Amino acid sequence: MRVLPRPRALAASERAVRPYSRWTPYLFLLPYLLAFLTFRLGPSIFGLGMSFTKWSIVGSPAWIGARNYELMQIDPRLDAALKNTAFFTGLTVPLLVITSLALAIFLNQPRRGRALGRVAAFTPYVLMSTVVGVLWTWLLEKDFGLINVYLGKLGIGGVPWLMSKDVAMYGIILTTVWWTVGYGMVLFLAGLQDISAELYEAARIDGAGSLRLLRHITLPLLAPTTFVVLMLTIINSFQVFDQVYVMTSGGPGTATLTLVQYIYTTAFQNLRMGYGAAIATLLFAILITFALIQAYLYRRGVRGVGS
Amino acid sequence: MRKLAFSLIMIVALLPLGSLATAQEVVELEFWGGWTGPDGDIMDTLVQQWNAENPGIQITLTRQQWSPLFDAFVVASASNEAPDILAMHPQELAQFIVLDLLTPLDDLIAGSAILTPENYLDSAWQPNVYEGVLYGIPLDLHMHGLYYNLDLFEQAGIEAPPTTGEELIAIGKLLTVDANGNHPDDEGFDPDNVVQYAINMHSNHHAFFQWWALYRQLGGELISEDGTECAMDIDKAAQAWQFLQDLVYKHHIAPQGQTDYARDFLSGRTAMLIDGPWQMPAFEAAAADTGFRWATSQYPQVFDEAYAVWGSGHNFTLPARVADPEKRDEALQFIEWLAANSTLWAGAGQLPAYREVMESEEFQTMYGREAFIGMMPYEVFLPGIPLYNQIFASNAPTPMMVMAQSIMLEQADPISAAQTACDEITFILQTQ
Repeated sequence: MRVLPRPRALAASERAVRPYSRWTPYLFLLPYLLAFLTFRLGPSIFGLGMSFTKWSIVGSPAWIGARNYELMQIDPRLDAALKNTAFFTGLTVPLLVITSLALAIFLNQPRRGRALGRVAAFTPYVLMSTVVGVLWTWLLEKDFGLINVYLGKLGIGGVPWLMSKDVAMYGIILTTVWWTVGYGMVLFLAGLQDISAELYEAARIDGAGSLRLLRHITLPLLAPTTFVVLMLTIINSFQVFDQVYVMTSGGPGTATLTLVQYIYTTAFQNLRMGYGAAIATLLFAILITFALIQAYLYRRGVRGVGS
Repeated sequence: MRKLAFSLIMIVALLPLGSLATAQEVVELEFWGGWTGPDGDIMDTLVQQWNAENPGIQITLTRQQWSPLFDAFVVASASNEAPDILAMHPQELAQFIVLDLLTPLDDLIAGSAILTPENYLDSAWQPNVYEGVLYGIPLDLHMHGLYYNLDLFEQAGIEAPPTTGEELIAIGKLLTVDANGNHPDDEGFDPDNVVQYAINMHSNHHAFFQWWALYRQLGGELISEDGTECAMDIDKAAQAWQFLQDLVYKHHIAPQGQTDYARDFLSGRTAMLIDGPWQMPAFEAAAADTGFRWATSQYPQVFDEAYAVWGSGHNFTLPARVADPEKRDEALQFIEWLAANSTLWAGAGQLPAYREVMESEEFQTMYGREAFIGMMPYEVFLPGIPLYNQIFASNAPTPMMVMAQSIMLEQADPISAAQTACDEITFILQTQ
């Protein structure tokens, strides 16, 4: 799967000089390839095989054919986990992309305290998930939590953030946006700084207002960055686990159970490696679908820019 | 040059022999436990004390939370590197026994004068026996008890803590106050604006722990004898849940969802607290710091069939897949020593299971312990079945967690919630 355009053919003069063997580039790729085979591709294939077995880690796996996949079709917990994960992703991704873009644009302008603002927005990202989880469990507390104290001042009374199946996922989403917004912001900031100031200057001379600058210069030229942020956010969101595990353990009821938590519980807590691997294979299929869509759109995008 | 090389080779070759000689003198034991709070520090102190007294047997205590600890234990077992001693709770034994990860202990302790059933409470010893074979040595027991705030009781003119369900509700109404000073039966009482509740109400796994006590007080069973299906008596199950649910939604004497039960009790937001003996060190500290006045009482008897209270305990097991099974005698020596020296452990609030220590005056007269000691024979463990985690784990949406949270947080109908849980339990028992 190539995502980059084919390099142009070498000119005759260039071809004459051959400072390196044709294997040299592959030699440079070798260290990563080895790591990729050992830690990514190898385990993935192993996991796929495991999904056709019943195995408790101890002892040897027993081949049971497609039984795990049949069980998946009647498992109500898996249903809940899939729906919750999709809901989480569907809401978190647009929120994260929009807030990180807005923050980046805001903090890209020359203003006082810009550096401080950038640090403040990025700092949560370096915190450990457990720290974030515990912190927000307190912030989102029904009676004494800081969030509800402020909501109370706006006349919104005691939201049982993590205690009600109707709002628990929103609590998790809020936490996640606060926690990871800095990452997208940094990418957007880098993208913004690549846009030449002359473009803005020329447009302003032509009488464009800031909204038009945003719509006709910033957003189109940021498109490649937006694309990267979007894809990374989608893939990360599908794999949401730590903060949910710390804050609600998937509760109340099954309201915040996500795919990765279900895989973790099934495989490592209940020692059903085979079934856990089968669910992991499903998640893998979902992610690879998004990766393929990404590759397709990216290639089209590159062609579009070229023509 | 050649001579030098030869000498070097000889030295290198002989080095392992030297270390072998010293290794024979000191036996090193790996001991894993899931105590991460103050109790873990006390266990650390006990291990250090043992190491100082027994230079020939040195123990390394590894502590991390129970769930990841068991993950690590299973993985270590797969490569025959399990710890020599592993602590757990008796109801968790079966899941590891069916995988052959634990050593049967009957023969190993046959010669011990200390590790005998007579030296332990029956309620502590029996849960360690699985299908007639002993797999664990009890260390302590713990169970739900009733803590109460003496100042708030005196202000409300209540002399004694509740011992039955009716008393709990009657006293509870006196101890519940809204912002205007009204009690639940008063005209104008505002259930949305309560400043002091009578008692806490769990919305985590302790909710179904309480349900288990009440359900057992009604004589209910949960798993069929052959272990293949749910044997829940739905009417009794719903009756037990209804009592708990009513405390919140009908009588308004308990809050709908708390984050920190102990904090709310210490701050006077709830006048009573149902929780385990592990809370005592914190309340002792609060008494010393701020003059907080507290006392304990037994978990109420709500239903008359039989007195029962949810409980569990810690035990020691000897993992089967260890590098060197020869070290089991030394491991048992340490467990024997710990039994006799568990008074210090009682400082963490846990109740020693070893009779001599439990009956000692030193332990019996520790503040607040009396009520808990009285409940020791009546505590009921959750069923110790091989699929324990799938049904009872607190950190996943298990049938019990879902049942508890839907009833206590969403006010679901206890009958249908219990039926759903029962169906799920049977599904798990038959498909996994």
